[in-house]
Amino acid sequence: MKRLILTMTVSLMVMVFTAGLVAAETLDITIPLPLTGSKAKFGEIEKRSYEIAAEEINAAGGIKGKKVVLHFEDSQGKPEIARAIAEKIIDVKKQPFVVGAYSSSCSKAIAAVAEERKIPYLVVTGASDTITRKNYKYIFRMNPSVSYYTGGLRSFLKKVVKPKSVAILYESTDFGTKGAEGMVKDAKKLGMKVVMKEKYESGAVDFKPILSKLKSKRPDVIYMVSYVMDAALLMRQIKELRIDAKLFAGGAAGFAIPEFIENAKDASEYVVTATLWSPQVAYPGAKEFAEKYKARAGKYPSYHGAEAYSALYVMKDVLERAKSWTPDDIRDALKATDIVTAFGPVKFEDREGYQNQNFMDTLVLQVINGKHETIWPEKYATKKYVYPIPKWRDRR
Amino acid sequence: MKKWLPYIITGLLALLPLIGLSTYMMHILILVIMWTVIGMAWNLLGGYCGQVSFGHAAFFGIGAYTAGILYFKTGLSAWWGIPLSIFFVSVASLLIGYVTLRLRGPFFALGTLAIGEVCRVTAENLRDFTQGTLGIMLKERTWIDKTWYYYIILGIAVFTFISIRKIINSKLGYYFVAIREDQDAAESLGINTTLYKTIALILSGVFTGLAGAFYMNYMGYIDPEIVFALHDISIITIMVVMVGGVATFWGPVVGAVIMVLLAEMIRSIPRLGVAHQTMFGILLILIIIFLPNGIVGDFSKIRKFFRFGRAG
Repeated sequence: MKRLILTMTVSLMVMVFTAGLVAAETLDITIPLPLTGSKAKFGEIEKRSYEIAAEEINAAGGIKGKKVVLHFEDSQGKPEIARAIAEKIIDVKKQPFVVGAYSSSCSKAIAAVAEERKIPYLVVTGASDTITRKNYKYIFRMNPSVSYYTGGLRSFLKKVVKPKSVAILYESTDFGTKGAEGMVKDAKKLGMKVVMKEKYESGAVDFKPILSKLKSKRPDVIYMVSYVMDAALLMRQIKELRIDAKLFAGGAAGFAIPEFIENAKDASEYVVTATLWSPQVAYPGAKEFAEKYKARAGKYPSYHGAEAYSALYVMKDVLERAKSWTPDDIRDALKATDIVTAFGPVKFEDREGYQNQNFMDTLVLQVINGKHETIWPEKYATKKYVYPIPKWRDRR
Repeated sequence: MKKWLPYIITGLLALLPLIGLSTYMMHILILVIMWTVIGMAWNLLGGYCGQVSFGHAAFFGIGAYTAGILYFKTGLSAWWGIPLSIFFVSVASLLIGYVTLRLRGPFFALGTLAIGEVCRVTAENLRDFTQGTLGIMLKERTWIDKTWYYYIILGIAVFTFISIRKIINSKLGYYFVAIREDQDAAESLGINTTLYKTIALILSGVFTGLAGAFYMNYMGYIDPEIVFALHDISIITIMVVMVGGVATFWGPVVGAVIMVLLAEMIRSIPRLGVAHQTMFGILLILIIIFLPNGIVGDFSKIRKFFRFGRAG
């Protein structure tokens, strides 16, 4: 018995000692993020998520035995500063790869530098189409580009709802316009008639004039692209006016976040929305990450957080597979990536005019019993979709 | 000594790339010089002519978009945007001046502020022409190495510096100062104030536009939110001049060094760098409270302060 304790203590000490030795070696990763300025909210979400990932990786022994140490540099959302940071990462810190950035414009500035220097760059959340359509060899992107955001919703409409007509309401911003244009294109593919396409000033309070017009058109699907407050107001006023449709659908953004349900209350029930990710999705590690994040920040992360969190895991996977930690070997390893992360499957492909783009399924959420549930694609569903949805007068 | 200062500084700057700086330092230096150009241009209108513009992003953006659209629509090198921007920015300045120069003082400032925003919204919505918020991206930048970019922007800066110096020391410059000091008095002395204000605006706009066209070539990507930015371009321009010294030749140079180089250095301080905006903000407040004429403008004050310290 004594001997057993002795061997155990000795082996424990050896383990601790070696662990200490290993931990002494660090892998420094510098990540550019907008931590001040108008995009700071998203920068903050991503920063927290990277930190959670780094802590987990370090607790599990780091990357190839090296402890990950993250440094964040504030790009202020300005491309020239993002570029300065990228130059510093490549030239001064000699880091053989770049990760991060958040906004499309900063991602573009960094992508140009990275490609020129032949340094692999993993784009996180920059959604502009052009980033992966430039024949760049060293640029990889984890999230689908903005044109693919509604892919899941489209297949849900096609397979389940089979609508004949659609009405589109959207806010007059770039995001809203693009979302509406995407829907018009989808409608053509699905053989739906666009009976109405109407934009409104974001931040409007009274939608009744537009909604009365909408009611007279009797569309099968009402598709809306809006941010938080507008999304909730629209649904509440739709309820007040008792406008019935086969399906109420939102194009991500305002419909996909918890605040939507808080604000719209029971009017939000059965509304479906496209999104890239949700805390309830059945990807391995997604729920754990969401809970961990919530414990720290007090609320669930958006898809930005999940993507940042998973980006570090992708880099871990890549660095472990790379033959050596030179830019070219890391690039080759990135190219061969094929893993499933908390954000979803990651695999970089060249197709449809894109290079090194991850084509993942986008999800459809539905509000069921006052909670966002993933309903589509069926393999990731957390609950069976509710369709057809009850008419307003049949609801309690 | 004082007479030779510009030559010495230009000479030193021209030799800088030869000592093998990292590309990171080169990038910062290029931005410093670019901001110097914009600052000098603003100073001509705001400092000497007394017309405080809050919308210099308009000229910067039009310059950048001249180069961008030229490249995107005709396939010509975006470098042609630099000479061409002179023409387009002049025309735009003329139009902008026609509207805003009827206004005085704060009304002019607000008018230009609005013009800057109008340009941004226009560029966002003229999709077929400007690509809207998608922006314009160069497929390939001309050089990977930064040395040439550095010399080009240095050339533009030297050209701007010499031109502005010539203008200010000419009759034109005296007209500008007269307008700044008292527009009505100047008018009564027979100065066609509208004409000279328009000239100041056009000159100021053209130099700013050159910097914009350079930006397009150097950064390789523009969109309306970047080049027509109120906060990131228009306000920073004013800060460059205010901190450096209004209506001084060297003010914009010093201002650009502080606004870009010092800001970057503060940002890079380990740990404390997290609060870089706060620290930098406090520094700017201190400068503006204690040196209201800017570092160059109140240089004698600084000197006195240090002499006093030595004597004590």
